[in-house]
Amino acid sequence: MRQKRETLVGYAFLAPALVIFFALVAFPICMSIYLSFTKWNFLSGWSGISWIGLDNFKRLFTRDRSFKVALINTFVYAVSIVPITVFMALLLAHAFNGNIFCKKYFRFAFFIPYISNMVALGSIFRFLFQLDGPINEILRNVFHLAESELPNWLADNSLCRIPIICVMIYSGLGYCLLIYTAAIKDISEDLYEASAIDGASPLRQFFSITVPLISPTTFYLLIVRMINVFQIFSAINIINTTGRSGGNVSLVLLIYNEAFQHYNFGYASAEAWVLVAIILAVTAVQMWGQKKWVNY
Amino acid sequence: MKNKKQTTFKVVWTVFFLMLSVVFFMPLLWMLSSSFKTSPQIFESPFRWFTDRLHWENYVEIWTSEDFPFLRLYGNSLYVSIASVAGQIIISSMAAYAFSIVDFKGRNFFFMLFLVTMMIPGQVLLIPRYVLFRGIGIYNTLWSIILPHFFSISSIFLFRQFYLSFPRELLEAAKIDGAGHFYIWSRILLPLTRNVMISLAVLGFINTWNEYLNPLIFLANKKLFTVTLGIRWYTTNTARDYNLMLAAASSAIIPVVILYGVAQDYFEQGITKSGIKG
Repeated sequence: MRQKRETLVGYAFLAPALVIFFALVAFPICMSIYLSFTKWNFLSGWSGISWIGLDNFKRLFTRDRSFKVALINTFVYAVSIVPITVFMALLLAHAFNGNIFCKKYFRFAFFIPYISNMVALGSIFRFLFQLDGPINEILRNVFHLAESELPNWLADNSLCRIPIICVMIYSGLGYCLLIYTAAIKDISEDLYEASAIDGASPLRQFFSITVPLISPTTFYLLIVRMINVFQIFSAINIINTTGRSGGNVSLVLLIYNEAFQHYNFGYASAEAWVLVAIILAVTAVQMWGQKKWVNY
Repeated sequence: MKNKKQTTFKVVWTVFFLMLSVVFFMPLLWMLSSSFKTSPQIFESPFRWFTDRLHWENYVEIWTSEDFPFLRLYGNSLYVSIASVAGQIIISSMAAYAFSIVDFKGRNFFFMLFLVTMMIPGQVLLIPRYVLFRGIGIYNTLWSIILPHFFSISSIFLFRQFYLSFPRELLEAAKIDGAGHFYIWSRILLPLTRNVMISLAVLGFINTWNEYLNPLIFLANKKLFTVTLGIRWYTTNTARDYNLMLAAASSAIIPVVILYGVAQDYFEQGITKSGIKG
């Protein structure tokens, strides 16, 4: 009797979350899996759905050039943005842990871009990198580049990833710094004091104490930021908007365009599941690597 | 002697990093300064931080503009953020209560189910949600942005951690005194875990305030646009009105920075404890 009541109460407390979960998470996941095996243009209505098996995936990996570009770009972003952000954050966290005033201010200052609106940051960076924008102004006035030599950051196919990389590093730094700061606080003061007495320089302390003892955090941040970068969208969408959707598109941007510009829901779902596969693979590496590479 | 040397070192270090933080702030300072200029002044060479006067009319224009007044954009964003956060906190803490205090069949099953779906990125949900929202008629309403926030596995997880670490004797004592589950949840656990709730509320608010992809997909009516969509409009649709675009960007960033400044401790607690990404 009492157990029955507990069960009832349990489900009553769980009910609101369960309803939203089934309606907006579980059902969509199932539907998305189904759609990835179909050809469906949303504008053609329900009757337009046709089952085509693995054809979407075959087309993705054999014939779709823009998918290949997006896939490569996504990896380029991951291997450029993530290590730079994490390494800079580690250096700063180490410095802010040491002998320094206004620690709280520094955490505040470097964190602001992280909480700032990505679309706002994107529009600022887009302007900074524009042909007649401040960055080229500096190149012209300080480095005396001629008008014709000025790089066209936003339109040039080989340069257009740079503004995206910059804005992502800019916004992600504060988060890594905060997580590192919390982790470094847990390293015993004694280690630093003892090594200082033995004559270790701050640089030596950094490589011999901070880096090895903080490796679990480094590993965590590398994975979390990588998953974040795989889902990069806002920055590219806002920096690209007027121009052609050129050489810097990411997977999510491609999914968005396919789904909500062309309404090819079947094909876009297939693209989305490739993204899922990549992210799950990285998560698996995290679980496996945590045991192997990390120095506890 | 040694002490004095250390203090000098400390001051030099601090000054160095103060300068570094100013460099780091440069894009935002530039945004702020340019948002008070006229459009030709922004492109002026040589560059000046301050021009003849502060051109407040940029802000007046975007706050009262006919198409996309920030007054309305702010109203929409505030409504969405507050409703999302309130719903998320109540629903998550209830679910966490069930997962930690109430003992019932199926509890572990559902908890594992939630955790498994957490690994799946939100992008796969967009298309089915779009179809669903059109079907049930909340596409192109603010509820299409608010509802998905009501389920947050990371909030449930964080609340659960706190409820599990709560002294059981206290709960047992309340039960013996005849308190029911609803009473224990609403009168004992909620008030005593106020700090967690504030942390989650601040994080959730900023998260929703900055949201872009969902509003972009689910809102078509420009009367419902949020602040983020407003900046997008000022960035892409006006011909070289960069002063307005930067005033819009400043208007979006400033309240969040103030909120963060006021609630920095809660904020840092929330992020380091939960690892929620913004």
